Amino acid sequence: MAMSVRVRLGSQFRNIMRVCFHENRHMSTAEIVVEKSENPKEPERISLEEQQRLNDIAKNERMEKLLNMRFAYQEFLPDPNPKNRNTLKERLERRDMLARRSNVEIPEFYVGSLVAVMHSDPHAPGKNNRFMGICIQKIGAGLRASFILRNFIDGEGVEINFDMYDPTIQRIDVIRLEKRLDEELFYLRDAPPEYSTFPVDMEPEYQPEGSAVPVNEIKVPLKPLPWLVKWERMGMKGIRDVTSMLTEKRLRMSKLKQFNKPWEKYDLLKMYSETIPIEDQVEIFSEIQEKLHELEQHRYKMKRSRNFVKPTKMG
Amino acid sequence: MNQAKILNLVAKLKHTNNIKPRKLKNYRGPEGRIAMLQKSLTALLKYERIELNFNRADETRAYAEIFMSQIAKQGSQNQKSIDMANFWILENQIIYKLFNVLVPRFSNDVSYTNLYHHPNVYPGILRPKAILELKNNSFPKVSSSIKNQSSVENILLKESHKRHFIDVITQ
Amino acid sequence: MNLPMLCMQSRGLSTSSALSQVIRLTRLRVVDNSEIGKQAMAEGKPPYVFHVYNKMGVGYIGDRVMVAIKGEKKKGILVGLKQNQKKKVPKFDTNNLVLIEDNGSPIGTRIHVPIPHILRTLMKEKTHSKGADYTKLIAIASRFI
Repeated sequence: MAMSVRVRLGSQFRNIMRVCFHENRHMSTAEIVVEKSENPKEPERISLEEQQRLNDIAKNERMEKLLNMRFAYQEFLPDPNPKNRNTLKERLERRDMLARRSNVEIPEFYVGSLVAVMHSDPHAPGKNNRFMGICIQKIGAGLRASFILRNFIDGEGVEINFDMYDPTIQRIDVIRLEKRLDEELFYLRDAPPEYSTFPVDMEPEYQPEGSAVPVNEIKVPLKPLPWLVKWERMGMKGIRDVTSMLTEKRLRMSKLKQFNKPWEKYDLLKMYSETIPIEDQVEIFSEIQEKLHELEQHRYKMKRSRNFVKPTKMG
Repeated sequence: MNQAKILNLVAKLKHTNNIKPRKLKNYRGPEGRIAMLQKSLTALLKYERIELNFNRADETRAYAEIFMSQIAKQGSQNQKSIDMANFWILENQIIYKLFNVLVPRFSNDVSYTNLYHHPNVYPGILRPKAILELKNNSFPKVSSSIKNQSSVENILLKESHKRHFIDVITQ
Repeated sequence: MNLPMLCMQSRGLSTSSALSQVIRLTRLRVVDNSEIGKQAMAEGKPPYVFHVYNKMGVGYIGDRVMVAIKGEKKKGILVGLKQNQKKKVPKFDTNNLVLIEDNGSPIGTRIHVPIPHILRTLMKEKTHSKGADYTKLIAIASRFI
C-alpha cells in the first residue's frame, strides 16, 4: 500500500519518503520487500531512483570539472577577505578579464613553469621587448593578477614582475609546463645561479594533449649564509637539507613552536577565511566556463586555418 | 595582496556571511585558543547542548559547522577526516559517536547547530551568555516558535499597555 | 654600542635590510670596466654611497650618487637595483653602479651586465643641453633587457 501512495505523491515528497525509507530500512525491511516483489509498478520506481542516481553522478562530475578549473584559472577567484568582497566589482572584473583573453591568449602555467613574455616597451628601440624565465610567483585576484619571472642573464640575476592582464602584453609563451613542490620559489634567490639559469632562446616543449601537468621534484641546495630569508623556518619542500650550514642556536630556534605553528594545521576557521567556498566557486566558474571554451574553440580553428598557406603567383 | 588559497575546498557556512576569527583572549596565545575550542567542540558533540559565554559559543559554532560539513563532504572513511577528528575531539568514545551516530543523523542537513542568547542571572557576572546545541537532539526545545497569546501573563501585559497609552493620551 | 642598536637587540628586532634601499653607506657593485672600479671590487672593498643627488635621500634607478671608492670621491649612476621595482621594470640581484666623470661620460668603456631599457628614457630626461650628457652611458652597455 505504501508504494501505491508514493507513486501518486509529488516529486518533492518522494525524496523525503526515500530518506525515511532509507533511514528506517533496518526496522521495516520485511514489509517493504514483500510489497516490492508484488507491486506491478516496480520497474518505474527503480527507473526513477536510477535516474536520480545517474543525475546525481552527472551533477557531481560537472561540479568536479568546474572546481578543477581553480588550478588553471586561479585569478578568477576573488579576494577572500569579506571586507574586500563586492559582487558587482567582481563580475565586472571577470567580464574585462574575458575581454582581454579574447584578444590575447593567456595560457595555463604554474609556479615553476618556464614562460616567455613579449610586450610593447616604449623605451626599447624596436618598441618590443621579450623576457624569458622561470615563474617564481603567481599572485593576485582579478585584473591585478601578476607573476614574477626570474632568469640569469650575463651572470646577473634578473626578475621582472608582469601584470597578467596588462594591455601591453602581446604574447605569452609557455616554454616548459611544469610545477614545483612549493607555491613560491623565492629561495632561488639564495640558490646557486645554475638553478635559475635558462637559455633565452629555448625551444618550447610540447606535451601530449590531455596529459597531467608534471611536477618537478628537484631539491635546490642553498648558498652559504647569509640568506635573504631564514629559510630553515619556512618549511619549504624544494630546499635541500640545510642543517649542516646552521649554527646550533639557529637550528634550535627553527624548531620552536612559534615558527612551526602546529596548531594551524587543523584551524578550520582560518582555512575557511582563506578560501572561497565551493558554492561561490561553482557560480564563478560556471559563469566563465562557456566563454573560455568558446575562445579555445575559436583559437583552435584559427590555428588550423593559419596552417594552410595560400599559393602565391610566381613571376 | 590577498589571494584565495585553492588546495582545500570548504562548503559555505549557512548561519553567517561575515566571518572573522576571534582572538579569544588566552594566556597561552593562539595555541590556547585552539585548546579552548577543542574542549568546547568535544563537549558539544558529547552533550549536544551546552551553555557558554556568547563569544566562545559563536566561535565554537563556526568550527563545529565547518568540521561537520568537511566530514560529510570527505566521508567518514577518509584518512583526512579521521585525522581531523583525532585532532579536534579529545575523547575516544566521542569519535565513535561522531562517525556512527552523528554523521548518519545529519546526512541530509545543511546546517548542524543552533545558537540561542541566554539571559543573565542577576546578580552575577554580566557577560553575554549563549546556549549552543546540535540540531535534532533529544532534549525539549529551547524556545517555542509559536507565541502563546492566550496565556494569562500576555493578556494582562496587553491590557496594561492599553491602560498606559490611554493615560498618556488623556493627560 | 649606540642606543637604537641596543633597543633593537633587546626587543629581538631584525635589522636586515628588507627594503634593500640605496641610502648612505650602502655598498654597491661597480659593473663597468674602469680601472679603479675593477681594483676596488677585486680587493673586496666595494664603493659605498655617501650622497644621493635627489631630495629623498634614497637612490632609485637612474639616480646619480657620490661614492667613496679606494679613498677617492667619484660620481656614479645606479643602473640596476635590488629593491622591488614597478611592473615590467627589471629587478636585479645586486645594486649596480657605473662610474662617471663630472661631465656625465662614463669612466669605463663597457658594461658587463644587462641594463634596463627604461634607463634610455631616464638618461635622456636627465641630460640638459649645457649640462652633463648621460646618454654616453647607454652607448657602452652590452645588453638591454
